[in-house]
Amino acid sequence: MEIRQTQFHSSLQKNSPKIFLIGSILASLGILLVTVGGSWDITNHLLNKPESFFSPPHALMYSGVAIGLIGAAISFLGYRNLQESKDVFRLPLQLKFIGIFLLVGAGPFDYVWHSNFGLDGLLSPPHFTLLGGMLFCSLGGMFGISRFLKTRELKNNFANYLLVLATLPVWLAGSGVISSLSLPFSNTDYFEFNPEPTFAFVIATVAYPFFISLICIVTAKLSNFKPGVITILGGLFLLIYGMTAIVPNFALLESVEFYSMNMIPIVMADLIVSFRKTKKVSFVAGGILGSGFYMVYYPYIMYTYNEFLLGKLVSPSMIYHTYFELMPQVIQFTIIPAVIMGVIGALVAFRFSNKILVKN
Amino acid sequence: MKKFIIIGIIVVSLSAYFAMTVFVLPEKFLGKDQFTPTPYLEAEVSSTQINLGESFRLSTISENIGDYGDIHIVSAAFPTLTKTDGIVRMVSYDFSNSPIYIESGDEIGAKYSGGLETVYAQYPSIEAMSRPIHPGTKYTMDLQITPDELGPFTVYVKSIDIPHTSSLSHFPTEGQLDHQGEYVLVYTVNVNP
Repeated sequence: MEIRQTQFHSSLQKNSPKIFLIGSILASLGILLVTVGGSWDITNHLLNKPESFFSPPHALMYSGVAIGLIGAAISFLGYRNLQESKDVFRLPLQLKFIGIFLLVGAGPFDYVWHSNFGLDGLLSPPHFTLLGGMLFCSLGGMFGISRFLKTRELKNNFANYLLVLATLPVWLAGSGVISSLSLPFSNTDYFEFNPEPTFAFVIATVAYPFFISLICIVTAKLSNFKPGVITILGGLFLLIYGMTAIVPNFALLESVEFYSMNMIPIVMADLIVSFRKTKKVSFVAGGILGSGFYMVYYPYIMYTYNEFLLGKLVSPSMIYHTYFELMPQVIQFTIIPAVIMGVIGALVAFRFSNKILVKN
Repeated sequence: MKKFIIIGIIVVSLSAYFAMTVFVLPEKFLGKDQFTPTPYLEAEVSSTQINLGESFRLSTISENIGDYGDIHIVSAAFPTLTKTDGIVRMVSYDFSNSPIYIESGDEIGAKYSGGLETVYAQYPSIEAMSRPIHPGTKYTMDLQITPDELGPFTVYVKSIDIPHTSSLSHFPTEGQLDHQGEYVLVYTVNVNP
């Protein structure tokens, strides 16, 4: 019996980095489900105005939380038995714990909020707690996966797919934070949490292009500019956003053709960075990625710019009319800041990816 | 040479991207007609003469006979009442969202503005709501009403679809206006001693 226990313990120690990796993968996967559910939930609220806390998007979100929680627990198990590189995996574990603590707390908080104040808007204390949890936990997953791949010097296709899985939830969670600070979806009967239109305009114009560029260039850098990585990452982002924000709205179905055009700058950015794997060229790719933010964040970004530029009442079936009506003005105001923020995003991506790979 | 080919591909692709997304496709989509959902409503009272203490039924069948829309509303208002408690009872209801009970003094939308113009309700009403609404979908609502006073008992009924882009998006399109400045069908039941 004692021999068996010793064998089990030594096997656990031997495999602890892999166990930590599995925990990180589950944490990232969990957050991916939460973000997909979150985006679907926004659409569900806009189209159907659900009257209960118990809705399919909420079920998906809280399944994701459960998977994330299991991931954090498995990461802890792996971390405890690590014989070496403990300091390498400390930060990812801490980020996951903070994230999970916020995520798990957000569920009952949201339920209590719904029970007392009815349906809450996009930006509300429980939703912001959830978003904070998503961001921290996804960062924990990303740091964990990336550091594992770095310590094992894994550079095959599987490693690249794992990198995409690591960064995609961060992109979606970060986009959720930016959306909640810029979309006018937060006024309710009890609270007026809608962001001030000028503030929302600035946040959207600055943060979205910066973040697209940051995430894509970080992923490319972590994969050592492997061709196809930005394309897969961007393609998955567009697919998720398209499936949760466009396809459920019958009135927007035909605009899928427009939205799919966004693959072009993504593929071009991929081509640029994988052709010349230099910092300078990455800035060009960042600028290109940033320049398309108004198209990438179709359709809901329209509401932010509508508040500032038109102030029209836009019901869900009128989204694309108002979106395209706004297009010339938005492009005129935002194209230069967007390119600049894309370049800055690429610059920060280089520093950030070094931080990801260097211990703590 | 390879470098110039790649630069060429990138320049052409990005030019095509911006041309398509900023000029060509917006032009195409803006050239299309906006969706115009069109409500049609039939309402019926079970009796036009009742005795005090008796009830009558108000039955509505509504349909979107136009394009896809976001919201379909049927409203039943009671201008001779100050409150509906104990007088109006929902018997059947198949709309997707719960009914909203509006009381006298509540701030409500007016003149088909979708809430941009508001007024204060002068009398109670019940708003049935479905969202979204596909063409051809029908909804029913049955109310059992037990007036508590003698004399004529009036009910206003109307339907509105959102987006409200023209007069096609409300029913009826003419007749009497209610406290919201919107057209209504009027039904009167005499309550006898």
